[in-house]
Amino acid sequence: MNKETKRKLIAYLLVLPAFLTVMAVVAIPIFTALKTSFTDPDTGGFTLSNYGYFFTTPNELKNLGFTLYVVVVTVVLAIIIAYLLALYLRFIKSPISRAIGSLYLLPRFIPSLVAVYAMITIIRDSGLLNRISQLFGGDFKPGLMYQASGMILMNMWFNVPFAALMITAGLGAIPDSMIESARDVGASKLQVFRSIILPLSFKDVVIASTFVFMSNVGSFTTPYLMGGNFPKMLGISLFDQFNKYLRYERAAALSVIMFLICSVSAGVYIYTNLKEKEWEK
Amino acid sequence: MKKSRIFAGFMAAAMMVTALTGCGGGKKDDGVSAERLKTVKVWATGSDNVRQIFESMVKDFNENSDYKDQYQAELNFMLSGTGAQTLPDMLAAAYKANQTNTDYDVIDMGGDDLSKIIDLIGEDAFVKIDTSKIPNSSKVSAKSAVAADYCQPYRGTTVVLAYNSKNVSEPPKTMEELFQWAKDHPGRFAYNTPGTGGAGDSFARTTVYNDLPEEAMTSADQKWTEQWDAGFAKLAELHPSIYQSGGKIVYPNKNQGALDLLSNGEIDMCPMWADMLLSQRAAGTVPDYIKMSTIEPSFTGSVQSMMIPAFGSNVDGAYAFMDYMLTDSTQEMLVKQMAAIPLIDTSGMDMTGYEDLAQLDVSKFRIMSIGELGTAFNERWDNEIGAIG
Repeated sequence: MNKETKRKLIAYLLVLPAFLTVMAVVAIPIFTALKTSFTDPDTGGFTLSNYGYFFTTPNELKNLGFTLYVVVVTVVLAIIIAYLLALYLRFIKSPISRAIGSLYLLPRFIPSLVAVYAMITIIRDSGLLNRISQLFGGDFKPGLMYQASGMILMNMWFNVPFAALMITAGLGAIPDSMIESARDVGASKLQVFRSIILPLSFKDVVIASTFVFMSNVGSFTTPYLMGGNFPKMLGISLFDQFNKYLRYERAAALSVIMFLICSVSAGVYIYTNLKEKEWEK
Repeated sequence: MKKSRIFAGFMAAAMMVTALTGCGGGKKDDGVSAERLKTVKVWATGSDNVRQIFESMVKDFNENSDYKDQYQAELNFMLSGTGAQTLPDMLAAAYKANQTNTDYDVIDMGGDDLSKIIDLIGEDAFVKIDTSKIPNSSKVSAKSAVAADYCQPYRGTTVVLAYNSKNVSEPPKTMEELFQWAKDHPGRFAYNTPGTGGAGDSFARTTVYNDLPEEAMTSADQKWTEQWDAGFAKLAELHPSIYQSGGKIVYPNKNQGALDLLSNGEIDMCPMWADMLLSQRAAGTVPDYIKMSTIEPSFTGSVQSMMIPAFGSNVDGAYAFMDYMLTDSTQEMLVKQMAAIPLIDTSGMDMTGYEDLAQLDVSKFRIMSIGELGTAFNERWDNEIGAIG
């Protein structure tokens, strides 16, 4: 055995445990789920009815539309807020911005369940806001619980710090010299933003959006605790099909549908990454 | 096909475990050592509050009971809902593998677990209770709905109507009055989504089954589903009167979701487990003015029992533990620690803070066991009632 093959063999051996683990816990379950999603629960034969159910039942279509609505609004709001926050952290140097810079990631370290319950305590119709309003003789009911608006508010807590982290890293890579030279030749602040900062950070914005999108399509904790009975987010719908109605075939079909929705976003992510390589050439 | 494969997996696991423990103990097949006969192995399953009460009972049994010199109890606890093998599965595996002299001396069973184990291995896998060996059992009149001769009930639990006594002076006495009250006070009543907690299940199911023959309550026969329509129509009629948030009808998720609404004054009434209400009231998380009452026909409830597997090792020790569980002091412990409904006369106990429990009549509990129909029920509720919007 020559040296070259030996080295290759060792390399494969080193990769093997990771490869087998991924096959066993990712690839095989995905394949089984795919197969189950095309299986007729009664006859065990091939069928498309599990998919048909989700695209023909009015209630399920409403769930799908509702999920997309919540996710898209979450992505748009989270990215706008995160971008403004990142701009502030990057270009304003003050004790306050430094304090915010070290604090804004804190929400990431609070267990999601705790955060959701904290939010519920504040925004429920008998919560903190309501009690404060009662001190002043009012009876303010936020009306956010069990609504899309409440869930979107909660999603901000989870996604703004995450998106801001990614965008801040992108903005940090823009050299000050570039901005200064533009300013020297007379570019206004708006021009600097439009022709330098925005184009250079656009890729990070797209990547942050895809991540926020994907993590919210299948979200569970927030809609389970804060969502209403109907329409439901797909994560809850999946849980119900699997745990409550014991319809494993439909649950598998819904998983595949959710996977496909996410893969659109994954496609955007891959495309953006490839484009960068071309630009670097 | 799938079931049998899972079952085979359990069997293999159970056989491995027993084979391994067999090696360790050096136990012979033909009998049980004298030392083993001094030990009672107690098996229980459930939520964490069940673990706590069983730990207290085992400790108390070993230190203070009349049997402390004769037996020492050991607890094996299976936390429910953690995805691990369940106690009924383990028992079924041991029984079907023809194990004898196992560690399953005495087990805690009730509700769905009990129906499941009887379905799996039948009553004959258990020792028929000899009440002469449990002197305290004469004080208990409650019977298990399933396998009554093989179960020694020791505590009860039931769903009651919880209400805010500051806003409701006279709680409804019947189901009809309850519906009328809810319609007269829109937004002040709620029940949790069926399938997310037993209290909401009980309300929705009794509403539907009150119109059906009594035998339907304990039948998994598909034919009863055809008679659900009238009950579902009633639930749909009640829908506009349910709790609202932000202008939308909301059924809270989980028992706790409904209880939170009641504690926070967002609703005035909801069905709730008696033990949840009382233990949280004792802990101070539910205000004192939240009270409970029963209605006619009642919501569902059940008794929890101890059983002796015929393939255990210490029948006399098991009887001793059962007898201990029915003493005044142990029943008082069950009341104080988990707000269980005591099954013996409460005059000898200190019921301070739990007076409501003494009034619950265990003999009037309605047991419901509709097996697989429960799944279909929840799905229909979600699609027909939950989705009204």
